[in-house]
Amino acid sequence: MRMETTATISVSALAQQFLVGLSRTTILFIVSSGLSLMLGVLRIPNIAHGSLYMIGAFLTYTIATAIGGGWGFALALGLAPLGVAMVGFVLERGLLCRLYDREHLMLLLFTFSFTLVLNDLVKLIWGSDFRSLTAPVLLQGAFDMMGLPFPRYNLFLLALGPLVALGLWVLTNRTRIGKIARAAALDRDMVDAVGINVSWVFAAVFVIGCFLAGLGGALVAPTQNITQGMDHTIIMEAFLIVIIGGLGNIWGALLGAAIFGLTDAMGILLWPQFAIVFPYIAVVVVLVFRPKGLLKSTW
Amino acid sequence: MKRGIAVLMVLLIAVALVAAQPAQAAKTIKVGLVDCYTGPPSTYTNDVRDAFQLAVAKFNAEGGILGHRIEYVIRDDKFKVDLGIEAAKELLLREKVDMLVGTINSATALAISELARKEKVPFIATFSKSENITGAKGHRYVFSVTENTAMAGKAGATGLAKKPFVKYWIAGDDYEYGHAIADGVWNNLKKLKPEVQLLGQSWWKVGEPDFTPYITAMLSAKPDAVIVATGGASCVPFLKAAKTTGFNEKVPFFMHTATELATLKPVGLDAPEGVIGTSNYYFYYPQTPANQNFVKEFTQAFGRQPTVGALYGYMAATYIKKAYEKAGKVNTEKFIDALEGMTIDTAVGPVTMRALDHQAELPMFMGVTKKAEGYNFLVASDIVTIPGKDVMPTAEEIKAARAKK
Repeated sequence: MRMETTATISVSALAQQFLVGLSRTTILFIVSSGLSLMLGVLRIPNIAHGSLYMIGAFLTYTIATAIGGGWGFALALGLAPLGVAMVGFVLERGLLCRLYDREHLMLLLFTFSFTLVLNDLVKLIWGSDFRSLTAPVLLQGAFDMMGLPFPRYNLFLLALGPLVALGLWVLTNRTRIGKIARAAALDRDMVDAVGINVSWVFAAVFVIGCFLAGLGGALVAPTQNITQGMDHTIIMEAFLIVIIGGLGNIWGALLGAAIFGLTDAMGILLWPQFAIVFPYIAVVVVLVFRPKGLLKSTW
Repeated sequence: MKRGIAVLMVLLIAVALVAAQPAQAAKTIKVGLVDCYTGPPSTYTNDVRDAFQLAVAKFNAEGGILGHRIEYVIRDDKFKVDLGIEAAKELLLREKVDMLVGTINSATALAISELARKEKVPFIATFSKSENITGAKGHRYVFSVTENTAMAGKAGATGLAKKPFVKYWIAGDDYEYGHAIADGVWNNLKKLKPEVQLLGQSWWKVGEPDFTPYITAMLSAKPDAVIVATGGASCVPFLKAAKTTGFNEKVPFFMHTATELATLKPVGLDAPEGVIGTSNYYFYYPQTPANQNFVKEFTQAFGRQPTVGALYGYMAATYIKKAYEKAGKVNTEKFIDALEGMTIDTAVGPVTMRALDHQAELPMFMGVTKKAEGYNFLVASDIVTIPGKDVMPTAEEIKAARAKK
C-alpha cells in the first residue's frame, strides 16, 4: 500500500503526543523504579517483577468490581499494591532471604521460577480468561487540548508520576530505612558490621519494590486487557529501562522511562509504520555511547 | 508335522487379529481437536469446542454416523505453532484420529494443513482467518468452515464503499492477519471507489498494551475514517481505548470483529457505539427458526448465548456427519469426495462447501455497534447481509494464488 498524501503534523499534535508519552513514562517509571531498587540494594535481578505487576492488575480488577464505582477503583489503587507487597513479603521472608549470598545466575533462576509459580497462581485464582476493567466515570473520556482530544486518564497518570517520584525521593533520602538501604547498596558488609540488621532492611526494600510493581499493574488495569502474559512485555521494557538508566539507580530508571516512553510516543506520531522499533533504537544508541547506562550504576 | 502346527498357529493368530481389528476400530470415528484454550483467544475458541461437543452428543444419541460412535480428543496448543503441530502429530500417531479439526492461529492451521496433506488425513480449519489456508496453500485434504481475510476484506470494502468517507487511515496488529485483512479491505475498496486516499498507516506489535498514543496520533491526521485491523487479543483493549479517548465520537472506524459477541461481551456497556464491523454470526439475527432453535439448544446446554465460534463448531460436526453418510462408508477419500460441494443447513441458512477450494460459502453480516434494550452489552444494528457468493474469492483468484507458489 502506498500513501497518496503525507499528513502534516501540527505543533499541537506534537505537544499532545509528548504529554501522552509522558503519561506512559509514569507507568514505566513506577514499575522500573521498583525493579531498580531491588537491583541496587538487594542485587537481585527480579524477573518475577512482571508477574507481581500482573497480580497487581488482577487484584485491582477484583477489588474494583467487588466494590464498584469510583470509590471501588480508588480503594483498589490503594489496596492492590498492598496485596502485592504482602505477596512480596511472604516470598522474601520465606525464600529469598536465604538466598542473598548466592551468585547472580542462581538468583536469576530463582526469580524465574517465581514467575512460573506466580503465573500459575494467577491461573488458579483468576482462570485463563482475560478481564477488562473500566476507569471510573470521572477519569473517562477526553477533554479538548488545543483542538485535539486528550484522555482524562492520561492526565491523571501525569499528575501521579511526580507524586510517586517525590515519595521515592523522600523515602531514599529522608528516612532511616532509605539511608540504610543506600548504604547497603554501596557496602553490605559495612552496614552489617556497624550493627544494623540488614536482613530486615532488605525485606523492607523488597516489599517496597513489590508495592511499586503492584501500583504499576493497578494503574494500567483500566487501560488494557488484564490477562496472562501481560507480565512479559513489561518485564522486558522495565529491564531495558533499568539498563539504560544505570543498574540500581532510581533516577536512572526515571530517565530511562522518559526516554523509552517519549521515543515510543513520538515514533508513533512521526513514523507510525515503523514506530515499534524507536524505543529499541534509543536503547541501542544509549548503550553504544554509555554501555554502563546514563547515570551511575551501583553494580 | 511340527512345522505344520506352527504355521497353523500363526495363521489362526493372524485371522484372529484381522477379525478383531474391525470389530474394535470400525465402531468409532475419532476426531482430534487442536486449538488454543488458554489466554485471550479462548474467548473465541471455547464456543467452537462446546458447539462441536453439543452436535456430537446429539448425533451419537441419534445412533452416530453409519452406526459408528463419534469420539473426540482435545488438545490445547496455547496459541503456539510448535505445540499445535506436536499435538496434531500425537493425535495422528497415538490416538489414531480419523481427522483433525481446529486452531484459531493461522500459522498453526497452515502447519497442520501441511501435515494433513502429507498424511492424507482431512483437516477442517475452524477459526483461522488466513486466506492462504484454502487459497494459495489449499489442497485436497484441507477444508475451512470460517470466513477468511479475503472474504472479510471484500465484505468490509463493500460496506465502506457505500459510506461517504474518502480520506482513510489504516492501523493494525503487525502480523499476518493484521496486514492481510487491511490489504483485503483496502485493495477491494480502491477497486469499488477509486477516489479513496490513504493518509497513513500505524502498525503496532501484537499484544500492544496501550493504544492511547496511536489513537492520538491518528486523530491529529484528521482522516474521514479509520480501518482497524486487529486480531483476537487486541480487539477488546482497542475498543476500550477508543471509548476512553473519545476516538469513536471523533472519527468513525471499521474493525472487522467489532460487532462479534465474543468481542463486545467482555467490554459490556462500556464499548464504543457506532463502530462498523462484520461477522458470520449474530445470535439475534436473522430471527429465523433455524437460528432460534440453535440459540435455544446452545443456551440450554451452556447457559450463555452462542458466539460465532459456535456456528463454526456446529458446522464442522455437521459436515463430518453428512459427508460420511453421503459417502456411505467410513473412508477418507470417499469422505472428501462427498464433502466437496456439499450443502448443509446451518443457523444462518444453507451453506455450501465450495468444491473448487474447500471454502465454506458463509454469508457475512455487517452492522454498527449500538446499545439495545435488554442486553448488558452492545449489539450490531442496521445489519446488512452480504451473501457468501459475493465475498468468496473468484475461481481465477484462487487459481492465480495457487499458481504463484
